[in-house]
Amino acid sequence: MKQYKLITAVLILFLALSELQAQVSNTVSNVKISQAIEGKPVKFSVSLYPVPGISEVVLAYKPYDESIFEYFDMELLGDSAIYTLSGDYVRTPLFSYYLSIEFETGVVETYPLGIPETAVPLEVTVRAPSVKDSEIIVLSPAPGEKVAINDMFISVSMIKASEDVDIGATKLYLGDVDITQYALFAGDLILFYAENFPDAVSLGDKSLKVEVFNKNGEPYHTVNSDFTVLTSTELAEAQKQFITNGSIEAESRNQSYNDQSTWFNNLSVNLKNTYDDLRLNAKVYVTSEEKADRQPRNRFRGEVQYQDWLSAEFGDTYPKLPTYILNGKRVRGVSGFINLGFFNIEATYGQVRRSIEGTIIEKYNRLNAPLASNVIAIDSARYGDPFAAVNFGTYDRQLFALRPSFGAGEIFQWGFTYLHGKDDPNSIDFGSRPRENVVLGTDMKLNLDERRIQLRTQASVSLINDDISSGDITDEQIDSLFSGDGSSSFGSDKDQFVTLKDIASTFITVNQYIGPLNPEELSSLAAEAELQLNYFNNRIRGSYIYRGNQYESFGQDFMVTDRKGINISDRIRMIDNQVFFTVSYESLEDNLQNTLLSTTKYDNLNTSVSYFPRIDFPAITLSYKNRTRQNDIAPTDTVNNIFMIDDVTSTILAKLSYDFIAGVKHNTNFSISNIGFEDESISDLDQTFVTASLNVSSFWNRDLNSTVGFTSYSSTAGDQDYSYFLLSLGASYRLLDDKLNLNLNINPSFGDFKRNGFDFTAQYALMQNLSAIFQLRYYSMPDLNTTNSVAGLRLRYTL
Amino acid sequence: MKIIKQVFFFTLFIGIALAFTAGNFHDDQTPVALVKKIVKDVQYKSADETDWEAAKMGEPLMDGGEVKTGFQSLALVLFTDGSGLLRVRENSILNIYGEKSKRAMNKNTFIQEGVVGFEVNKQSEDEEFKFTTPTMVASIRGTEGVIDGDQNKVLCESGLIELAALIGQKETGVLTGGNAAQVTEDGQLKIYEMTDAEKQQLQQTKQITIKKIRVETEDGTLEVEYYEEEE
Repeated sequence: MKQYKLITAVLILFLALSELQAQVSNTVSNVKISQAIEGKPVKFSVSLYPVPGISEVVLAYKPYDESIFEYFDMELLGDSAIYTLSGDYVRTPLFSYYLSIEFETGVVETYPLGIPETAVPLEVTVRAPSVKDSEIIVLSPAPGEKVAINDMFISVSMIKASEDVDIGATKLYLGDVDITQYALFAGDLILFYAENFPDAVSLGDKSLKVEVFNKNGEPYHTVNSDFTVLTSTELAEAQKQFITNGSIEAESRNQSYNDQSTWFNNLSVNLKNTYDDLRLNAKVYVTSEEKADRQPRNRFRGEVQYQDWLSAEFGDTYPKLPTYILNGKRVRGVSGFINLGFFNIEATYGQVRRSIEGTIIEKYNRLNAPLASNVIAIDSARYGDPFAAVNFGTYDRQLFALRPSFGAGEIFQWGFTYLHGKDDPNSIDFGSRPRENVVLGTDMKLNLDERRIQLRTQASVSLINDDISSGDITDEQIDSLFSGDGSSSFGSDKDQFVTLKDIASTFITVNQYIGPLNPEELSSLAAEAELQLNYFNNRIRGSYIYRGNQYESFGQDFMVTDRKGINISDRIRMIDNQVFFTVSYESLEDNLQNTLLSTTKYDNLNTSVSYFPRIDFPAITLSYKNRTRQNDIAPTDTVNNIFMIDDVTSTILAKLSYDFIAGVKHNTNFSISNIGFEDESISDLDQTFVTASLNVSSFWNRDLNSTVGFTSYSSTAGDQDYSYFLLSLGASYRLLDDKLNLNLNINPSFGDFKRNGFDFTAQYALMQNLSAIFQLRYYSMPDLNTTNSVAGLRLRYTL
Repeated sequence: MKIIKQVFFFTLFIGIALAFTAGNFHDDQTPVALVKKIVKDVQYKSADETDWEAAKMGEPLMDGGEVKTGFQSLALVLFTDGSGLLRVRENSILNIYGEKSKRAMNKNTFIQEGVVGFEVNKQSEDEEFKFTTPTMVASIRGTEGVIDGDQNKVLCESGLIELAALIGQKETGVLTGGNAAQVTEDGQLKIYEMTDAEKQQLQQTKQITIKKIRVETEDGTLEVEYYEEEE
């Protein structure tokens, strides 16, 4: 029996370890990331497996030249989570990301599994804006332009194109229709007049694609531009009438997970209206996942915007003020801005957390009530007993933020931000320690010499009260702290104290739980300053950050505090923007207020070189990173040496991507990385991770494309090896005059982590603006005897 | 007679050679500009033609092409290297010249008469963007403004314009955003801060859409046309 227990324990341990080490997930099916181009927004779309109880998905993101991740709440919609990252964050040559998936039980899982202990974040290559983008110019129609069909003409200029380009081989597509045969090639200009070929152009939204080839017949570049074709009457009407676009989507799906079957039903409505410069948008998302005992899953949003200077949003808004204070957190209420240029104001008010009542676990009388942190006094008249052990609930939390600023921001802007957040102690019966927070901040940006010099600064201080249930400190309590002559043993004057309390209590509850307790040590200050210089093909950035250990803002849940240090980086463009060399160095340390046992220093050196050739040769990125962490505890300190940190992580990465034609066009991506973790502490937990992957996407014809991918992963930790091999096969096929679109992906894995999975979707256009999408996902893990699936149907109606 | 023949053949030879050379210069038949938008009466003619033709949307304008706008008319002209656009106001006549070398194009717009608004992107070091009137030359590096050929005046909304008078004292100067310049009869260049009227003219030049208001009266329908400001 003892032996059986031991084997079982070893098996469980092994399986648990396997789960941690695998760079795969039981929560995330796949992550789609739009093409990452420097300065352009990047959209993350996460497909989730049928796992119940997911309450939040957070994107952790870090540019290559920084070491601290920034965190963004993703929008949960059905079985997917989406977030569009601002182009300001997207820099060459790479970015790292991972996902943090939070469950209602409080459990947090990462994707890939096991970050940061046993796995590393994923890396995505960021392409520099291609010089080719400026070589091929769509002169007309302009992007987003509305044109009358009688006056419509397409004009593409190749005047700036490289001499390698074969202009005569250029292909023009309007949607999926090849209109090259109707185009007129006039020197370096391509012209198409709709008037001459009325059958070639229909009314509606159009997407123009210009495929450019070099003189060897190989793809050189592709440019896309969207516009709308209307009748002359429609165009005239469009300028004076409401234009309504939108979609209605209804979904019903069944998820089966570990023999637990659940139905989910969602309905979403998106409406966009424009009238001249006025934009009215509305979004409603209603789901059966909305429950009173969890944070809201339904979403409602209305938006009114006039030109670029006036905006008001209602419902679930995601306001962004200076990042240290309010960074895209969901606020259910009102947000808006008025931008007059010389003076602007942004404001938001609403609920960031709704109240969820706690639950009674066990009731006690006065005699048998144990002393425990979750045993509280309850209303005996209502519940029968005076005490109970409870699961604490969540207080309703309201937030208000205001940011007046001066200057349009093109050259200069100086802003001031005030944020106040407060829990409502009366919102629930069973709660613990309602809190209150005030943050004051200022930020400035300055752009000089046509933005070649950019200065950004922000600084904020916070006040936090960790328990406002007892309200403000009373005059009697103050009296008790002071002797009869008004002095106290801690050297304060009573009248001065009362005056300060009266002033402060108009902003925040003042009692013994207010902090910081050591403001003179700047413990609640968070500040950063960044200077960027763009000269001589160099982009040099230097920044300094300081984040005190007690800094906290209710509008920013994810900031890493207790850090200070510098970051210096340089990106050099060479050989006519074909080669990019990046080097960055960051040095940080914690324990700013001497609240930790020892101070840990973090040094990061990142270097990379990227080659984006304009010839038939693979694009290459090579990168080397070295991260060291070291604190001042010596191995000989027998009392504290278990807290010793002294390690080096070295990462070598190579990525290659290559487009070639072998019968048809293929796009290949290959990457290999080696991560070595050398632990010099007494734990001596050296680890090595090696990952290699190859993906080939093939475009067989306009209807069929396929992908084949391989990933090999192996790790060594001490004397334990772990490895698996992941195969990914996918195909997409359009048929029935494009009415039916089929997608199939099969993802088995072999080795120490075994899993079979496939994902099938079929989209059928029932009418021009009504489509049905059937989705079937299935995966099983034979070793864990687990089989899970999801089957759903979605109807989408476009207005 | 022999001499006449020799002169004739020599002239013919030179003529053919020149034509051949000129043909080589015009081998690149890339239009310099396009007519992007037309309001009412806009005509054009190529350099080697004498008759005006009604322009249509997308009309390509070759080197030396001429554009003419009539009463209450307007043409929006787009340069094919993506360098900018012209708003040719009513009763204007201009010639557009472009010389392409490798991946650059030097542009010169000769304003015979009338008013032209312009939006010009930043030019690369090896490119020129010039406006010429009978009295001055304006070199543009990336700016917005108006050239008023009738009043020998330049309004600069933003950016920088290098100016040179072509008559009299042939003064030169640099015009910056918010200022105006006028060439006097004796070739002096007067630079001054834009007046309110000139600022209004600058804005009016941007209006490219004509809208109509119909007013029903006892005597019939009165139509009022006005320009709508560009978005």
